[in-house]
Amino acid sequence: MTNTALALEIKNLTKKYGDKVAVDNISLSIPKGSFFGLLGPNGAGKSTTIHCITGIAQPTSGQILVDGTDVVTEYKKARTKVGLSPQEFNVDIFATPEQLMDYMGGYYGIPKETRWQRIDDLIKRFDLEAHRHVKFQKLSGGLKRRAMLGRALIHTPELLILDEPTAGVDVEQRHDLWAYLKEMNERGKTIILTSHYLEEIQYLCNDIAIINHGKIVAEGTKEEFMKEGKSVEQTYLEIIKAQN
Amino acid sequence: MFNRIGLYTMLRREVQRTFRVVIQTLVAPVISAALYIFIFGSVIGTRIDDFAGVPYISFVFPGVLMLSIINASFSSASSALYFMRFTRGIEEILISPFSYLEMLLGFVGSAVSRALIVAFLILGVGVLFGAVSLVNPVMFVIYVAAVAAIFAMLGIIVALWAEGFEQLQVLNTFVITPLTYLGGIFYSITFLPPLAATLTRANPFFYFADAIRSSMIGYSEANSAIGAMVIFGLVASLALLVTYLFRIGWKIRS
Repeated sequence: MTNTALALEIKNLTKKYGDKVAVDNISLSIPKGSFFGLLGPNGAGKSTTIHCITGIAQPTSGQILVDGTDVVTEYKKARTKVGLSPQEFNVDIFATPEQLMDYMGGYYGIPKETRWQRIDDLIKRFDLEAHRHVKFQKLSGGLKRRAMLGRALIHTPELLILDEPTAGVDVEQRHDLWAYLKEMNERGKTIILTSHYLEEIQYLCNDIAIINHGKIVAEGTKEEFMKEGKSVEQTYLEIIKAQN
Repeated sequence: MFNRIGLYTMLRREVQRTFRVVIQTLVAPVISAALYIFIFGSVIGTRIDDFAGVPYISFVFPGVLMLSIINASFSSASSALYFMRFTRGIEEILISPFSYLEMLLGFVGSAVSRALIVAFLILGVGVLFGAVSLVNPVMFVIYVAAVAAIFAMLGIIVALWAEGFEQLQVLNTFVITPLTYLGGIFYSITFLPPLAATLTRANPFFYFADAIRSSMIGYSEANSAIGAMVIFGLVASLALLVTYLFRIGWKIRS
């Protein structure tokens, strides 16, 4: 039975690459409207989990439901509900920000008029007007991140997954981006965020899970992670050190 | 629901990519074809009697056209998909709402689109040299599209298999090019000794060239039923294979 109050439900997800277990029987429930931080060291299984949700990887076992839609059996419908800004720049480096959004919007079946209205809005929102016709390879790290975010949002997904969205972004732009993400979340968008900047997680997220060696090792509200006056970073380090 | 706009976007993107590298994708094949037509039409052709009721260049032209279609289609599909794997741009397709059949149609349709643009330009050159006749335009378009689709799907398979840029050329160098030139594109199999003619009949490329030639000049050296079975059988079997490879995510979905 599906829970309609959940944006994402992961049930006993396992992902193996040969003999290596990248994700080991994890379960997660993320309510609609949540700003969810997924933390963990490099290689812990964060990106693999995201890849299983979005269709880049095939789960070995378990089930993933996005807004009640199974990402394997009803993959076409499920994919319309998810937007991804990945950690690595998985783009045609000769395409411009405008083209990236145009192509992605087209792939999602958005009609031309609506698509171009959204492209104009996103270009403006991410301050990309001066760079809309510049090839991706010529953009700075921060501009690349903003173009990737625009691409992830072109189909107005219900669930937005941001894998290290502010890596390489300068402080001022990072704060601007935070304000935008907070605003989107306040308007009801469910966001999953992975980041190595734990102050970013602390500032933005209201629910947090830590994954290590492919397993969920801690899960709770931000307040639970900040008990006894600790920061999220302090709690995170304590948990990871205890694990290792 | 069928992702019509998504498919159109895949086609539009490949056509834009074709024009982004226009010298490599369009100018080069047209120049090559023009040279073939000039040599076989104006240099050698004038010294050879009409064959099958048409000038030698009209007999050879369908083969020249097929050669260009094969190259355009194969290189479009293999380079586009391999580049997407290399840059991980394939993830844009993987996370989008495409069924596996739609992925097949998108990649094949994109490559066929480029092949048709090349074919149209070469037909234009052929018209200038007086080398073109079209006795059955409908069958011509069907056979050109079918042959282009076959090589688009072979290009997809090679792009999925290849682990380096060099491997992209393996099939082209060791299989496609020899079988194309030995498939009777420049000569009639009646010129060959019996054993060579029999071997040529076992070469599927002979049926590709013959089908296009018969739709252009109305002359065929192959059993047309066998030819149709070879061509459409290959289209169907390769479509099943590529759809299966997309479904299991071979080399593209981890």
